[in-house]
Amino acid sequence: MLFRKSVRKSWLGVKYVVKLKLNDKEIEAEKGKTLLEIALENGFDIPHLCMLKDLYYGTSCRLCLVMTSRGKLIPSCYYRVSGNEEFIVDSPELREIRRVNFELILSYHKVECWLCNRKNNCKLMDISRKLGVEGLPVCSQCPLAPEECLLKKGILCLGMITLSGCDAECIISGGQCWGCRGPVTREDILERAFRRYKELGFDLNDVLFRAEIFWNSLKEFEKIREVVEKVKGDDK
Amino acid sequence: MWSLLDKCCEKCKHSDKNPCPDYIECRVKGPLCHDDQKCKELRKKRIEELKYGIHGSKIRIPLSSCTLATGAEEIYNKFKEYILEKRLDTEIVISGCFGLDYLDPWFEVVMKGYPAAIYTKVKGKDIPRILDEYFEKKDVSNAFALRYRTGKAKGEEKVPLLDEIDVWKKQRKWVSRNCGFVNPESLEEYILSGGYSGLSRSLKMKPEEVIETVLKSGLRGRGGAGFPTGLKWKITRTQPGNPKYVIANADEGDPGAFMNRLLAESDPFRIIEGLTIAGYSIGANHGYIFVRAEKPLMASRLKKAVEEARKYGLLGENILGSSFSFDIDVILSAGAFVCGEETAMLSAIEGKRAWPRQRPPYPAQQGLWGQPTAINNVETLAHVATIMSYGLEEFIKLGTEKTKGTKMFCVTGSVSRPGVYEVPVGVSIRYLVEELAGGAPEGSSIKAVQIGGPSGGCIPKDKFDLPIDYETLQSAGAIMGSGGIVVINDNNCMVDVAKFFLTFTSAESCGKCFPCRIGLRKLLDILDKITSGNGSEEDIIVLRQLANSVRNSSLCALGGTAPNPVLSTLRYFGDEYEAHIRDGVCPANVCRAFITYTIDQEVCIACGQCAMNCPVGAISKTSSGKYSVDYDRCIRCGTCFIICPVNAVQKVSKKELVRGEVCG
Repeated sequence: MLFRKSVRKSWLGVKYVVKLKLNDKEIEAEKGKTLLEIALENGFDIPHLCMLKDLYYGTSCRLCLVMTSRGKLIPSCYYRVSGNEEFIVDSPELREIRRVNFELILSYHKVECWLCNRKNNCKLMDISRKLGVEGLPVCSQCPLAPEECLLKKGILCLGMITLSGCDAECIISGGQCWGCRGPVTREDILERAFRRYKELGFDLNDVLFRAEIFWNSLKEFEKIREVVEKVKGDDK
Repeated sequence: MWSLLDKCCEKCKHSDKNPCPDYIECRVKGPLCHDDQKCKELRKKRIEELKYGIHGSKIRIPLSSCTLATGAEEIYNKFKEYILEKRLDTEIVISGCFGLDYLDPWFEVVMKGYPAAIYTKVKGKDIPRILDEYFEKKDVSNAFALRYRTGKAKGEEKVPLLDEIDVWKKQRKWVSRNCGFVNPESLEEYILSGGYSGLSRSLKMKPEEVIETVLKSGLRGRGGAGFPTGLKWKITRTQPGNPKYVIANADEGDPGAFMNRLLAESDPFRIIEGLTIAGYSIGANHGYIFVRAEKPLMASRLKKAVEEARKYGLLGENILGSSFSFDIDVILSAGAFVCGEETAMLSAIEGKRAWPRQRPPYPAQQGLWGQPTAINNVETLAHVATIMSYGLEEFIKLGTEKTKGTKMFCVTGSVSRPGVYEVPVGVSIRYLVEELAGGAPEGSSIKAVQIGGPSGGCIPKDKFDLPIDYETLQSAGAIMGSGGIVVINDNNCMVDVAKFFLTFTSAESCGKCFPCRIGLRKLLDILDKITSGNGSEEDIIVLRQLANSVRNSSLCALGGTAPNPVLSTLRYFGDEYEAHIRDGVCPANVCRAFITYTIDQEVCIACGQCAMNCPVGAISKTSSGKYSVDYDRCIRCGTCFIICPVNAVQKVSKKELVRGEVCG
């Protein structure tokens, strides 16, 4: 009857307090609150996506998983604390599981940060940065608004097909990307990116020529060539 | 006509308003409240009638899904024709299946004074001959087995008794004791066979005592997880909140598992009795039976049984003179595999979309409509009814130390005697697969078994001595599940088997949580990649990592067990995965990308059937008059392989073929 108790908690204004141990940190918390709330209040950063307070506790995204003392994984957004318990809320193992789950979510997301108004100001990108998810284009970190995009001004930038996460001066200051961090490997992103290049009026051979500077010796370059051929062939 | 369930005379005080506590015992053992020779004789006569038919002979024909599929309906009609033609005074009685499905369709003929003979694998045209033999010549020499001997019929000594036959003798019939030899639509026959004595006994005990008995028996849930049933009931009983509910889970969706169907189709009253006992001990006044909509016969048998029990006061107000009232609704599932998961089932009963939810709170705390609910598999409930009727001592003798009792197993796939076998928990896989199910049919050998349906795991041949119980199977990477055992022979590719089960689970995933919805899809994509010949070494690592992650982080048991086929085949048959990736060979010659078909020129009789049926015209005549395959055109559909009358078409590994050509 976990929910019942949570309703009863403020009965007659009395608040029940339980002792919790999160990652060796001992804290006191109000009974009936969700573990996620408590962890966030106490400075633990647990990524979460699907939970909407008082509206949805469906535990769909499985990003907020924490480990109980028995080694079982439970979603913290749903679990209401009722006694003195111990949890591990952050560990390399948990991060790995969260990262795999997040990658699964992202694999069905149409990544087109170059067109997206949110750019790097969205929760998905926030979490991806925190969990160290690889494989997103530089555009997801670009400080420029979509209207100011260099590509619209006719300046060739490899941001759409280059891996993000370099934090280099050229991007942060709003300059063009040269692709030194390596290419994005997800084919669907590459395909959309090359389509966009074509739409904006760039010659795809020019893009490939620029890309060859850093990526010529890479295995993945073959794949990029194939994608370019495919995009080129669309017109015919 | 007077039936056992009616009043015998005016002195009987039993009525719908004032039910008698000794109603059940009174039915068979003669009037208990008054002494009257007439009433005793009335009962004796009726019992005789039930045993041998009203006119001294009867034919028992099983009508259940498995026998109907093999043509029982045709045989049923033939009986009617025969009886009308010969003007025989014979009754035709239906029954359920007795579990030996390789013998279907079968029937039993009973005549007073003569042995009851069972005929198996019968065909419609044989019926007049068999019945002539039995009724006119009194000859049973062609029967498969006898239920009992009388020594009056011809050729009796040639035919073994059913109890002497190996397949029957090696089983321990406990919950399925009535299956096949009791009319599933007659409450009378069930009570005659000892039914409802468990309920009658339970109602004279306190609910706590009933729970204590079930706890003592050590009965564990037969639905798969193996949670102690008594403990579950105890928790549900002690929870605050009223009303409480009990639910029988008959939503059996595993491919290759049909023991619940068999039990409900052959002996539905046992389930209802078990559910009533569960309701009494928990303190619930309402129960539900959740039946899979794809099994309509099972649902209709259960519905009929509920109505019948209600008619005679075994459901409803003040059951058997106690203060306990109970009623049952039969509910058809929405038809998804995930409905078998208990929280998804609850939302399906509530009328919502069948989505599981996070536990805790467990259904025992917060179940149907937020009330404490006990959910049990139908086999568990049948066990409870049997324990209460036949006593605890017999049950405790069976099984292992941790898991008591028996379990029904469905053995299907590549075995010579597929069927449902009930054995004590703890027998070895070899006993079940080789001694009972008869091992592989001729010309093939067993490679592995898949235990527990699509969420179970594969266990290879060299581990067949493992005992079947919850803990051992779990440590071997499989689960007991509902008890389906699919036998895989050496013509099956293990990667393909894993792919088959994953295709099922990924299609049945409800889509609520991401690891299951997307993770299973990605796993399937990787397996597809491997079987189509594009796999890389990295794939095995990703497969293992992703499967583990899906297993640990999924919301419900479907996602939590769905990667088991992949993980267990990776564990025991990793070399097959490697052969696909490294050598480009499918060891069992199953995966299309690695095989090709050739025609053995020496065997070919030039009939031209393969060329005629080839969908792409890849087979043509050579100069020698025989046929050969154009490897570039061939799409490897296998039509020629199936159709060739002399087996001249052969499956060959692509690599072997190339090597052969280079050498030759």
